[in-house]
Amino acid sequence: MTSEWLSPPTRSEIIENLVSGVDRYNPANVSILEDYLYHQLRTGEYDCLANLAILKLYQFNSELYNPDVIINILIKALTTCPLPDFNLCLSLLDERLINTPLEEPDPLPVILPELKTLHNLLYRCRFPAFWDAYRSDELEQLRDNYTVEIVGFENAIRAVAIRAVRTTFTKISSDRLGSYLSLSDDLVQYVKSLGWSIDPSTTVISLPPNPDNQIEATVVQESIKLPQLTKIIAHARS
Amino acid sequence: MAQQRRALWNAEVDLEEDVDLSMAIGTYGTTVYDEAHISQPQIDESTMVAMQQHMAQQAAFSQIPDPVKSFIIHFHQAVLEKNLAEITVAYESGWNKFTEKFYARTEWPEAELIAPLVNDDPIFLILYRELYFRHVYSRLQPNIDDRFHSYENSCELFNYLLNSDGPVELELPEQWLWDIIDEFIYQYQVFCTWRSKSASKTPDELTLLAEGGPVWSSYSVLNVLYSLMQKSKISEYMIAQRAGKSQEEIAEIVGDFGQKPLYRMLGYFSIIGLLRVHVHLGDFTLALKVLQSVDLNQKSPFTRVTACHVATYYYVGFCYIMLRRYPDAIRTFVTVLNFIMRMRQYHTRSYQYDQINKTADRMYALFALCHALAPSRLDDNIANIAKEKYGEQYTKMTRGGPDALAAFEELFLYACPKFVTANGPPYEDADAIEKLMATSGEPESPTQASAQQTDCTHRHLELFLADVAAQQPVPTLRGFLKLYTSLGTKKIANFLDADEEELVQEMMVLKQASRSISRVAGAAESTGLLEGEMITTSDLNFVIDENMVHIAESTVGRRYAGWFIKNTERAQKILDDLKNLPLPPPTRSAPTASATSTTDPTSQSKPTRPGGGPKVAWGSVKVAG
Repeated sequence: MTSEWLSPPTRSEIIENLVSGVDRYNPANVSILEDYLYHQLRTGEYDCLANLAILKLYQFNSELYNPDVIINILIKALTTCPLPDFNLCLSLLDERLINTPLEEPDPLPVILPELKTLHNLLYRCRFPAFWDAYRSDELEQLRDNYTVEIVGFENAIRAVAIRAVRTTFTKISSDRLGSYLSLSDDLVQYVKSLGWSIDPSTTVISLPPNPDNQIEATVVQESIKLPQLTKIIAHARS
Repeated sequence: MAQQRRALWNAEVDLEEDVDLSMAIGTYGTTVYDEAHISQPQIDESTMVAMQQHMAQQAAFSQIPDPVKSFIIHFHQAVLEKNLAEITVAYESGWNKFTEKFYARTEWPEAELIAPLVNDDPIFLILYRELYFRHVYSRLQPNIDDRFHSYENSCELFNYLLNSDGPVELELPEQWLWDIIDEFIYQYQVFCTWRSKSASKTPDELTLLAEGGPVWSSYSVLNVLYSLMQKSKISEYMIAQRAGKSQEEIAEIVGDFGQKPLYRMLGYFSIIGLLRVHVHLGDFTLALKVLQSVDLNQKSPFTRVTACHVATYYYVGFCYIMLRRYPDAIRTFVTVLNFIMRMRQYHTRSYQYDQINKTADRMYALFALCHALAPSRLDDNIANIAKEKYGEQYTKMTRGGPDALAAFEELFLYACPKFVTANGPPYEDADAIEKLMATSGEPESPTQASAQQTDCTHRHLELFLADVAAQQPVPTLRGFLKLYTSLGTKKIANFLDADEEELVQEMMVLKQASRSISRVAGAAESTGLLEGEMITTSDLNFVIDENMVHIAESTVGRRYAGWFIKNTERAQKILDDLKNLPLPPPTRSAPTASATSTTDPTSQSKPTRPGGGPKVAWGSVKVAG
């Protein structure tokens, strides 16, 4: 379950060595990791540990600070909700005591609270509110300067909603799902691509069974495993 | 496909692991430092006199009490002879005894002052300073010189260990080695905290800090820890051990340095040190990642140093909390809290008893916190103690509402580790620091409030509380659903006076809160601490069929197996003990035999039974099963 998160199959050997070795502390390597981040933005891949390694370098070397990179990392981290990635990234953002003059005004102080709000909405499964906030005028800068560059961002957010819906519902109305995914006309198409079926007359969507949306009242019986009995069995032999 | 998620309580957790108490107990010196030991110092009196004369002009020297001088000489001798037992006694008992007696409120004598007593032995003087500074940090208020010099001394020690051509000829008790690493990180953390408060620095301190350079920098601390790990090849050692390689193969793998207990232990403790440093810096994934090659189990020889054992679990458990893996955190705390409880009777003797107890109290608080977020029945005993200690907060946390957040905050702040920022204020940049001090110096200015927020502890607290706040309605909702087997969403919304769509979204949060990634027992042994799979953490399960909620509850059947296994084993042990008892002595004379014959039918039927070994006599008895 977590192995893909720990080490995505798309991670190259160079990145793997950086993430797992002591070279991760070498500020000279930051550009390799930053390039890898932009590669993730272009391809829709995601590698949390590699991105955390960038933030680690920023934490130690405040002169490397690059707000655009941080914002992109945080946006990518949004898409794995409810995994803790977003918080893990924020944990590494030490407060900046010096404001090394940047070429342009620092966008982070404006955008960070916006991202926190978005994350909060996602974590609380308020998907319709998320889309409203995301599409609002206030967040124009975020959309025009950042998320527009991130391939598959909106679908990645939809995947977050899909994960939550999948665990909770056996059937869901089209209207409700549409509001979670911010889809109306394309909804049928999208639902079909998931392999879910839609009733043409009621437009109610049925979800295939999965471990989380199947419930049954059970009495958990204990199961005795062999190792528990080794002492007794060994004794009987002697 | 339709298979149920593995439930937490169903995943048999190997909490019943046998702890080799004797292994851990061994570290507690049972001997008490005895002055009689050193009434005859190894150095003969003439040398002593010569040295005294040499130092006569130094009034300070003569002020050192004689028992302390003898103690130092004796201590030095023990280190020279690599007599671990004696070093341990001097280190754990003697040092503390003389601290209480002579140096409860003042520094120990400067290393330069006692140098003549130890023939200017540079290594011993470094070790002595290590103790000297530790005493300053723990009992007194370190000034900036102490902070800088303790750093220099640590560096000297590590340089000596790391830069020699071969392994150094030095042996120290494991407890001391752990304390060296632990103290090094502690001093780093204290320095970072102190450094971040720029407003209260004197001009002298500012100058020194501006010129401080790499002193206590995060990079230099990490550098030391990684160097010790690499020198000792500790990761390779542990991997080889896990793979079951022979002693010879391991020796070849780890090389000259890694074979020495001193390096091996320092290497291991450095891994734990890294865990701690990363937690201080807020990097919880990396903290767990560095433990990749470590087997967290109670049988490892590294559990011998209890302080290290306890610290490891504390930091690992805390990381799990920040990773939202509450079941894993609970399991971690339960394991070590049980260990501490079973050790209690022994470690009252340890000079670190108080420290261990404090950490344990913190872990009970963290346990209560996790337990409120992800109720489990893992260990009722620990849960009861936690509720006893933090009952008030626990009730608030489980009840939800605004009081709950305050209770979470209180326990988090009490029990969380110290957090530091990797870099301090820009002391080397005079302009910038002046600006910074000007803004933070104004009382009641708006920046004062932001200075509060810059406190990194609050940053982590905020993140944690946001997670908690998102789960606020969960207890109420869960309590509600428990009463029904199916219920329309509209009806629930009416009951709770909420919007129906809001409620449905809240139900997804409830579902989310009942799932967690967790290391699954069994597979966990050889996989990293970050591995895991999704499990169910709640006995209440539900699903929404359009607008109808269906609810199912799982109950745990009574468990018999543990009881039967325990008692079978107990019966077997009694049987073994009986078998090993010597038979009644063969010298039984006829009169006694006849006297007992009325009550002993076997002796009656076989009055001539030879007095052979017990094996023969009992050999025919078949053990059942």
